Amino acid sequence: MILHAFIAEFRRNIIEFKRYPTEFISQVFLVVVIFYGLFLGGKYITGGEVFGDRLSGVVIGYVMWVLVLDAIGSMGYTISEESKNGNLEQVFLSPLGATTVLFVRNLANLVYLMFFILIVVVFIMVLTGHYLSLSIMNLIPLLMAVGIAIGIGYIVASMTIIFKRTDQFLNMIQFALLFVIMTPFTDFGGNWSLVAIIVPFAPMVGLLKEMIINDSSLLETSLLFWWSCINLIIWLGVGVFTFRLANKRARKMGTLGHY
Amino acid sequence: MLLEVEKIKKSYKVKNNIVEAVKSIDFRLESRNITAFLGPNGAGKTTTIKMIAGLIHPDYGDIRINGKSVINKGRFALKDIGAVLEGSRNLYWRLTPLENFEYWGGIKGVSRLKTLQRGKELMSAFGLESKLNSTVQQLSRGMQQQVAICTALIHSPSLLLLDEPTLGLDLEASDRIQSLLEVLAKEQEVGILLTTHQMDVAERLSDSVAIINNGQIIKQGFTKNVLKQFSSGETYIFEYVLEIPSEKRELLSKYRPEYINLSTFKVVLTDAQTPYEIIDLLEPYSILRVEKDSADLATVFRFYTSNQKN
Repeated sequence: MILHAFIAEFRRNIIEFKRYPTEFISQVFLVVVIFYGLFLGGKYITGGEVFGDRLSGVVIGYVMWVLVLDAIGSMGYTISEESKNGNLEQVFLSPLGATTVLFVRNLANLVYLMFFILIVVVFIMVLTGHYLSLSIMNLIPLLMAVGIAIGIGYIVASMTIIFKRTDQFLNMIQFALLFVIMTPFTDFGGNWSLVAIIVPFAPMVGLLKEMIINDSSLLETSLLFWWSCINLIIWLGVGVFTFRLANKRARKMGTLGHY
Repeated sequence: MLLEVEKIKKSYKVKNNIVEAVKSIDFRLESRNITAFLGPNGAGKTTTIKMIAGLIHPDYGDIRINGKSVINKGRFALKDIGAVLEGSRNLYWRLTPLENFEYWGGIKGVSRLKTLQRGKELMSAFGLESKLNSTVQQLSRGMQQQVAICTALIHSPSLLLLDEPTLGLDLEASDRIQSLLEVLAKEQEVGILLTTHQMDVAERLSDSVAIINNGQIIKQGFTKNVLKQFSSGETYIFEYVLEIPSEKRELLSKYRPEYINLSTFKVVLTDAQTPYEIIDLLEPYSILRVEKDSADLATVFRFYTSNQKN
């Protein structure tokens, strides 16, 4: 059943992409131009290689940022868009349950987004002349971060169901996210370890940094890996739990389809 | 039993006031049966339909579909429900009907092959085969509604919930929808619960009616029995030569007259009442005609709802 739903969601993305290709092309163009602009600007200011050997790290960080923001935003966006166009109640009539439909929609969206990112990265590599050497293992912390983003996405979706308009909240989340990702919680040691396990994304950022910048293997960073797993379970769990509560409350208040 | 609605209640808190949207509703619906929910705006029809679909949880009571509780086993019950709700859609406008069937069938857990096959069958039942590949936004309002009904039926549910299915449609589209609903009920054994303000639609389609007002059912039964009750010589039209003065109209009010104009009115008399009582009451005014009238659902509806506070 879930597979049928995934295929349906994925095909819907593909159909819209094929029918309206200019949307996709303009998005790719915009993202490549912004990134290349940063690259050239940096080069001009420093007068040399701005990213050098760290280009891989920068690109993967950028990919993580795009994936995470999209996974968080698309949940709330789905709810508010579907309420606006009147389809939300029908989504909630699925026997799979809204939690599963949203999850599957997000996964299908991520696969589509990966394709988008792949094209962007190829363009960046051709334009900058730097070719990335990424191991498939780097994808592990990346996918874990996406899992957490889905958990937080459920929290945003819950707020959208109850409070309806959450655009400002989403803007705030972007800043909070920037703070969380930029702060090296895992380097602080001592009692900060507990904070690093709990703060969303903190152990994944540490893990990714170890793997890419310090070239460590997953085995060498097993502690960070296990912290990442706990972090993922906590945030995905909190997200799903919150969404179920919000779902129940909206049905109780009779406001599910309202916008 | 396909649908059992047991004493459901729903109230909302609106600015410190408790508003009882549904006071107590209790009814059953069998397969192959079409039940029309009639009632003025704000009577509680849509809230009831949404409670049956599991979109609103009742404060009290239970709803079972094929024995499965919508409240406790919602997901299992939802497999059996298809719904087209007023003010909400089940179509993406940038997709074609066929692509919509694929999508909505998919999130209901049906394989792509089955949804395409079923979708084509349903569209040909409406004579819309040629529109399978046009985007929904290119279709007329009537066609969109027909496609919405096909989408609601894509997973072959045994219960179809329709909120104002023919509202705002031209005669041809309305006719097609009504014919398809008749076929669905009689040949594919689907039970249909619909709300409508169009009494002719309810009269043509429904096997049973439930008149709902102020959150409760005030009359329910088989449509033909309800109509018979009102057609067995109890509805009369009185036409007077002159306008009936207000003091006389006040005296008449206990009969709940329905005025066609100020000199003509319709009344439904109970067994204990006779038309002579009214003639006596309006003496010495001259009568132009007194005629028995065969009731339609509109008369029945007005009789039950006119003197109730909305």
